[in-house]
Amino acid sequence: MVVDIIVDGGILYGLVAVGAGLATGLAGIGAGVGEQGIGAAVVGVVAEEPGFLGKGLFLMLLPETLIIFGLAVSLILMFAWTPFV
Amino acid sequence: MLRPVEMSRVVVAGSNRVIEPVIGKLHELNLLHVVNYSGADESFGMGKPVGKASEYAEQLIKLRSIERYLDIEDKMPDKQFPESQVLSQIDGILDNVGDDVIATAERIAEIENDIKIKQDQAKSLKPLAGLPIDLELLYGYESLAAFVGNVASPVEADVSKASYVNEVFTASSGGSNAVAVFVPVDKAGDVSAALAEHGFSEMSVPRGLTGSIAGAISTLESDAKRLESEKEPLQKKLKDVRAQNEDMILAIDEYISILSQKAESPLRFASTDNAFVIDGWLPTDQYETLKTELESAAGGRIQVEMLESSEADKLVESGEDIPTKMQNPSIVRPYELITRLFAIPEYKEFDPTLLIFIFFPLMFGLILGDVAYGVISLIVMLMLKRKFRTPGWQSLINIVIIASIWAIIFGFLFGEIFGPLGLWDYIFSGVHHVGILGTVAHPHEVGIDFGAGFYGPLGRIGPSGLGDFAGAMFPMYRLATASVLVLIGVSIFIGVIHTGIGSILGVKTELAYGEKKHAYFERLPVLLFQVFFGIGLLGLIVGGTGNPLVLLSALVIVISIVMMIKGPEGVMGATHIPFFVSNLISYLRLLAIGLASVGVAFAANQLAFYVLMPMLSGGAHEGFTTIAIVVGIVVLIMVHFINLLLGILSPFMHPLRLHYVEMFTKFYSQHGGGVEYSPFGRVRRFLSE
Repeated sequence: MVVDIIVDGGILYGLVAVGAGLATGLAGIGAGVGEQGIGAAVVGVVAEEPGFLGKGLFLMLLPETLIIFGLAVSLILMFAWTPFV
Repeated sequence: MLRPVEMSRVVVAGSNRVIEPVIGKLHELNLLHVVNYSGADESFGMGKPVGKASEYAEQLIKLRSIERYLDIEDKMPDKQFPESQVLSQIDGILDNVGDDVIATAERIAEIENDIKIKQDQAKSLKPLAGLPIDLELLYGYESLAAFVGNVASPVEADVSKASYVNEVFTASSGGSNAVAVFVPVDKAGDVSAALAEHGFSEMSVPRGLTGSIAGAISTLESDAKRLESEKEPLQKKLKDVRAQNEDMILAIDEYISILSQKAESPLRFASTDNAFVIDGWLPTDQYETLKTELESAAGGRIQVEMLESSEADKLVESGEDIPTKMQNPSIVRPYELITRLFAIPEYKEFDPTLLIFIFFPLMFGLILGDVAYGVISLIVMLMLKRKFRTPGWQSLINIVIIASIWAIIFGFLFGEIFGPLGLWDYIFSGVHHVGILGTVAHPHEVGIDFGAGFYGPLGRIGPSGLGDFAGAMFPMYRLATASVLVLIGVSIFIGVIHTGIGSILGVKTELAYGEKKHAYFERLPVLLFQVFFGIGLLGLIVGGTGNPLVLLSALVIVISIVMMIKGPEGVMGATHIPFFVSNLISYLRLLAIGLASVGVAFAANQLAFYVLMPMLSGGAHEGFTTIAIVVGIVVLIMVHFINLLLGILSPFMHPLRLHYVEMFTKFYSQHGGGVEYSPFGRVRRFLSE
């Protein structure tokens, strides 16, 4: 039966889906870890000087790109790269 | 529109005899951004306040304290008052009403303090409540040492051992044991040690209370209650005073502030014994107005002059800031909030507000892209617009309103009403669909197919022939694989244009500052790199590595990297390349965040229509029971509500980021922020003309 699934491509497709999930998920964790320190610092600065909100946001949103990288990999895995072609 | 208003440097000089009418006129015109006199010139001193400046300051202090007691904060005016009415009421408000308010507020503070003391005393007495001894007997002895407090275990035996002469009172309540131990003073040390072994912790006994402890607690509590009831009418009185006088007090505040501002203004001017000089900037086209108005106000005894641009440049070089007045049509103006949040543009820089107005709502719409969500957010914002009337809130609400309209437009393109599937089909085709691609038999034969690329299909618009507008291209159903591929392309394309415009403005900005090397070897290569990176990617997908577009792009990219290395930063310049690549990939969020919210909406619909409702109707896909419909609707409302909240927040934050990080870094605020044009004067809000 396992052989059937492998031959069918089912398990391969499943692994691709798992990989796509890991790519976005792990990237998200990474970005979160990066943002936590920056976020705390920004809140501190803004409490002292509200005018820095814009620049603070800018710094805080920088690591967000990480998730997008992970997501790009996921999208390629899920949509652009098909193991059945 | 991309540029701030053109400014000119003006000098106003006149005799001290006409200083008051000149200040009055300047204030009324609200045009001149005064440059404070730095005191650099020996022949000039600082001006002296005119009129009763200190008196106004005192009045303001009193008024502000009244405002604080009444909890009055700045707000949008409900009423306006003529100056004469304000003038006639100043004394009444400041003296009669004000003194009354201050006295009342102080009395309230006193009462609150008393209540606090009494509550604290009652609280500290509670553990001792059971002791069979009067309060006044617990302290004040000369030859006796008194220990009052809590213990963990009975102490009588050990106290007797330490001191034969003793008196111990105990009481236990709620798990704690209170004791009052009295022993001769000379035994105090021994007894204290004995008590410590039983976990004794001393409690302070409030002084000045008499009678039994339980009685004292109930007296204290009833006193606190009585004081509370005394406080209430006083608070209500303050509320009434506030309701009656709020706008008037703010109008008086405005009136005295204006007087005080005028009176203290000479401190910012250069002056001699007989004359004064005012430096400032104003919009060039307003110069004639200022000149004629001031001359008529001063009866000719004044000189108003505009400096040549070369002289003005010299002043700028010596450290004077040219104030920036952003110039945008009223529909674009709300977006100045986003610009301002980052930094005020410097005078020589571009004002990015117009670009934000173009791209921000577009991105918001592309992400949210749902007719129903757009309409709901539009309606909510229109309702909030009446409630929140301060300028900041109004700008924010207007931003979201314009963005919501785009969300509705994209909703039609994507064919989404509360997510894909379901409502759109019901409303526009009367057909009920099961899968994402609907029941279209040959989805590859409708809409526009972009054919096969080198690495696989390029995607298509409009996999479903339903709705049938624009040649069956739309609606395109975002969740379908083919649409995702198209949207990836669209996102990157928007990124190339967005960052490209930023880079072009960056080149022009550097040229405006006279930094040719930065312009051509730092900004220009970024533009080339990103544009040809995009083109190269397109070529790669369409025709593989051999495509001429790919070869051309590779060549240009190599040239741009060489230019970067030749640039002001040298080899370090090339280290930014990963940043420029990630800039473009970052635009994928336009697709990704949209997909996430469509996914949630899709899941909600699936859950309600295909899982819960059939389940509760005994497996039927038609003719649901009433309870199934009710449960289904509750689930739908809940999930869509949460999705809508997130769906407004993240399409706002992420385009904001794309502007701040991806676009602004190319051209904006590279030389530090500017100074906002704030002319001498004041917009009258509570005072009518």
